[in-house]
Amino acid sequence: MPRSKDPSTAPEPLRVMIVDSDPERSRNLRGALTLAGYRVVAELRESIALPDAVQGLKPHIVIVAADSPDRDTLEHISLTTRNAPRPVVMFTQDGGAETIRAAVKAGVSAYVVDGLSPERIRPILEVACARFEAHQALAERLAETERKLAERKAVERAKGLLMQRRGLSEDEAYRELRRLAMQTGKRLGEVAETLLAAAHLL
Amino acid sequence: MREPHRVRVGYIPLTDCAPVVMAALKGHDRRHGIHIELTRAPSWAAIRDGLITGALDAAHALYGLVYGVEMGIGTSPQAMAVLMTLNRNGQAITLTRRLFERGVTDGTSFARLIRADPRRYTFAQTFPTGTHALWLYYWLASHGVHPFRDIGNLTVSPPQMVAHLASGSIDGYCAGEPWNAHAVERGTGFTVATSQGIWPEHPEKVLACAEPFVSAQPAVACALIRAVLEACRDLDTEQGRREAAQALSGPDYLDVPAMVLEDRLQGRYVDGLGGAWVDAHPVRFHDHGQVNYPWLSDGMWFLTQFKRWGLLASHPDYVSVARRVNRIALYREAAAELGIPTPEAEMRSAVLMDGRVWDGSAPQAYAEGFAIQGMMWSDAA
Repeated sequence: MPRSKDPSTAPEPLRVMIVDSDPERSRNLRGALTLAGYRVVAELRESIALPDAVQGLKPHIVIVAADSPDRDTLEHISLTTRNAPRPVVMFTQDGGAETIRAAVKAGVSAYVVDGLSPERIRPILEVACARFEAHQALAERLAETERKLAERKAVERAKGLLMQRRGLSEDEAYRELRRLAMQTGKRLGEVAETLLAAAHLL
Repeated sequence: MREPHRVRVGYIPLTDCAPVVMAALKGHDRRHGIHIELTRAPSWAAIRDGLITGALDAAHALYGLVYGVEMGIGTSPQAMAVLMTLNRNGQAITLTRRLFERGVTDGTSFARLIRADPRRYTFAQTFPTGTHALWLYYWLASHGVHPFRDIGNLTVSPPQMVAHLASGSIDGYCAGEPWNAHAVERGTGFTVATSQGIWPEHPEKVLACAEPFVSAQPAVACALIRAVLEACRDLDTEQGRREAAQALSGPDYLDVPAMVLEDRLQGRYVDGLGGAWVDAHPVRFHDHGQVNYPWLSDGMWFLTQFKRWGLLASHPDYVSVARRVNRIALYREAAAELGIPTPEAEMRSAVLMDGRVWDGSAPQAYAEGFAIQGMMWSDAA
């Protein structure tokens, strides 16, 4: 998602979006980010513009003021946008190192930047991105495992259903499911789930 | 004398933050050997992070939010605890006056308009796993409107709702009070449905904490339950509600006129279309402890809706999750010390607006039995 890994192409600067209702604080942050080599694609003042801005401008990172009510809007966007979840980084001027450590340890998808100096921003954003990607990968693996487990359960239940309703043996029931899967070009688990849902309606 | 134990409690400025605020203002905390230090939070996300990181010990929280964190929706899973329910009922769905001008007065006329012109209108709620999102989705789906396919759907913080409704950037919202009464009073919107019209006597906010707090300091958690229970008991009297309306209207809390708060707090509704009534299921904080007891079926219901809307990919073990989150034993201990009765049962039965019965007995079938359901993903961006 972030910069190109191919060293032959010049790295595109990371696109950052700032969400803060305080114009002066937002301007300072923009200056610091620009000096640190980031491209600030937008400074937003309120939540209502957020969904369209995230969709249209495709920022790599969203930075939001810790005290902003718009954090809840961002929660919704990152939960409901499947293709490109992005790290949300919080900033506050009074966040101590302890708060940052606690937040990182707890694995909340947010990090606190205290102070706005350019030399401090880059390492924090890099750590945030790296941790976000690691968390994403873990979440995807977990979801994949859960899906497989659920599919296996569905296949077992669908087999049971076929055995009971059609008087098939376990082997025959399994072959029937596989035949349906091949015929419809779907995964075995999907076919099993469709069958169970249909049975549920009858 | 021993110094009272400090307990940091977060809240969002809403009418139903009354139990935690009044527990501190009326000195119930001191009587139980604790000192409640109140923190007004800027967002539900801040409440969640505060609980997880330990910056907050406990909080006034959306029921669904606590279960969302427990299940790792939007964050890594964190063990959470519901100490007690703070209130039932008292939320609402507000629509803009402009929809009234297009002939919308109720759910049926609303659904007709949406079906004629899908995806044109946008509705807001307060947190993706929160109660208001789920009340809104339930109400829409009961009228045949899909909350992710037929309308635009976003999260907005409650105090911003009325302004966005007035500017036309949203067409309606589901939120807590006083933000629905406020829209009626301003003439920008009308109340098309109350949350108690969706589920009479539904659970709403809870007193929540992260699991490490309650396991490390069960006696403090128990004292906190007692202090807040006493506040809840006061709040079910007319006098208690009047006091709360006065206190919460101040600039430290909601900063709105006490009258805007008090009417719906006392169950008196005007809908902005000429309708006025005294509600049979007003916001309730105690009801002899029936409200506060952390019923397992209440917690489980939120899991069924997470599954329904694709926030959970597969069925959780509904009862086990509720049993580890809702601290019934600790609640019983606190209630017993105050002489407040507790039910024997762990489940209660309800009939929701679409006629479906929820009693916690068959959660998987319940979650699968909705005609309108499905993933909340949008593939844009």
